Amino acid sequence: MSQNNGTLNLRVARIESVTPEIKRFTLVSPTGAHLPAFSGGSHIVVLIANQNNTLRNPYSLLSSPYDTSSYQIAVRRVESGRGGSVSLHDNVNEGDLIEVTPPVNLFPLIKQARLHLFIAGGVGITPVISQLEELRLSKVPFELHYAVRGEEHAQLGKELQATYGEQVHLYRKGIESRMEIGRILADRPLGSHVYACGPDSMIDAALSCARDLGWTDSHVHFERFLEQSSGGEAFSFTLGRSGATIDVSPDQTMLEAVEAAGYSMPYLCRGGACGHCETEVLELDGELLHTDDWLCDEDKSSRKKIMPCVSRAKCNRLVIDL
Amino acid sequence: MLITGIKSRPVYDQLQPLPGGTRHIIAGQGSGGRAMLRLLSDMAGLDRPITLLYSQESFSGQDFLAQLQQYPEHALHVHASNQALIDELKTLLGDAHMGTRLYLAGSESFLGSAMQVATHFDLNHDEVLREHSGTLVRRVWCVHCDSYTENVTQRVYDCPGCGLTLVVRDHYSRRLAAFQAVKADAEVPGELPEAEELDT
Repeated sequence: MSQNNGTLNLRVARIESVTPEIKRFTLVSPTGAHLPAFSGGSHIVVLIANQNNTLRNPYSLLSSPYDTSSYQIAVRRVESGRGGSVSLHDNVNEGDLIEVTPPVNLFPLIKQARLHLFIAGGVGITPVISQLEELRLSKVPFELHYAVRGEEHAQLGKELQATYGEQVHLYRKGIESRMEIGRILADRPLGSHVYACGPDSMIDAALSCARDLGWTDSHVHFERFLEQSSGGEAFSFTLGRSGATIDVSPDQTMLEAVEAAGYSMPYLCRGGACGHCETEVLELDGELLHTDDWLCDEDKSSRKKIMPCVSRAKCNRLVIDL
Repeated sequence: MLITGIKSRPVYDQLQPLPGGTRHIIAGQGSGGRAMLRLLSDMAGLDRPITLLYSQESFSGQDFLAQLQQYPEHALHVHASNQALIDELKTLLGDAHMGTRLYLAGSESFLGSAMQVATHFDLNHDEVLREHSGTLVRRVWCVHCDSYTENVTQRVYDCPGCGLTLVVRDHYSRRLAAFQAVKADAEVPGELPEAEELDT
């Protein structure tokens, strides 16, 4: 396993279709060495060469934290996206080498919890799979409530049911009744924690049910999977320190445009969650289009900060402190 | 060994209604009753169940039971000792649901012991408030004999558990709900640190 610029070159050992849209990739070290350790809920970033730049797509690890002989990721094919997932589906074969970053965890289990409740939808199950693996050595009870669009999308859920039995509640559209998040969260013992990962509408429903039932923020955890980073309209901005002008194309993020121009800046999640890329806005003639979960409402309306990994701008001029 | 200047003593809050709670448990002891009454008046009109726990054990002899009884709409459980209250708190939290908010008022020893229970149930900073009342006399834990001494006011004192002369460090353990004390002349036998009154 060679490392360059802090990334890992891994061999694709296996590719399986688990739903009509999702392929599971098993990645190993070409030398057979163990991979860097990780905890449940971690993700890696896969570097995908595109025509003239590199896409960096984050994917949750779904293998066991207790077995670092391989990593597994699940890639949902997003036809309307920027081509990263399609490229992984169509161009990557077993035996190929791909470049990934070492694992980072922005969705960890809470060690003090007395009950873990997982709410997942579709491909949002991926971080939960490694979290459940981590819980195998724990005596703390858990429940997984997992909604999918129908029987043909249920394979990962059925694998989990086979492993964890009645702790897994599967909601297949057209087969089981709809998931009712309010009932799942009602009358739970003190020390319960909820973890939500899925489409925005599901996460927003979980956040609002939790709030209505009096759950405090310290017990509510979520991870959004963006539809491979928010695209939008093209715009340009200026790096305050070098004066360089950066053009952001419709399918690029500000962060990717900065990287494509040969500059680097700090980042971790590339999904607007971790706060690493928070950048000061020095000048602004126009509007910032915030789509992150990091800045508070006050920060967002202040027009002084931006998260370049997801947010964009509609502006005549934008200068950021970079 | 660092004795003074360790910033581990909890910074206490002022009780005020916590937003979003579906049930409120207000537990206090002795002079903490004053903060309980203030909180109750701030909560007037709140359409959520409130449970009051009050212990009449008090270092200074202050008792707010009569005033607390002026709120017949809230269940009031009275205890003769702090320990009895804390035992009931444990039972209450064991049956409670998410959405509960806990408010504590009283001596540092009481707050520390109640927080041990709250922490056991994984109640976090956004679910619990603690207001200190009275003096800051310390509960001290002897590292040598594992005994606790209440109401210590002197930097150097003799441990009732093992008889050693101890020096009280400004090192507060939330897990033990006590300050740590160690043998005072461990480095050079017979050489004791200066006696001083603790910042009570």
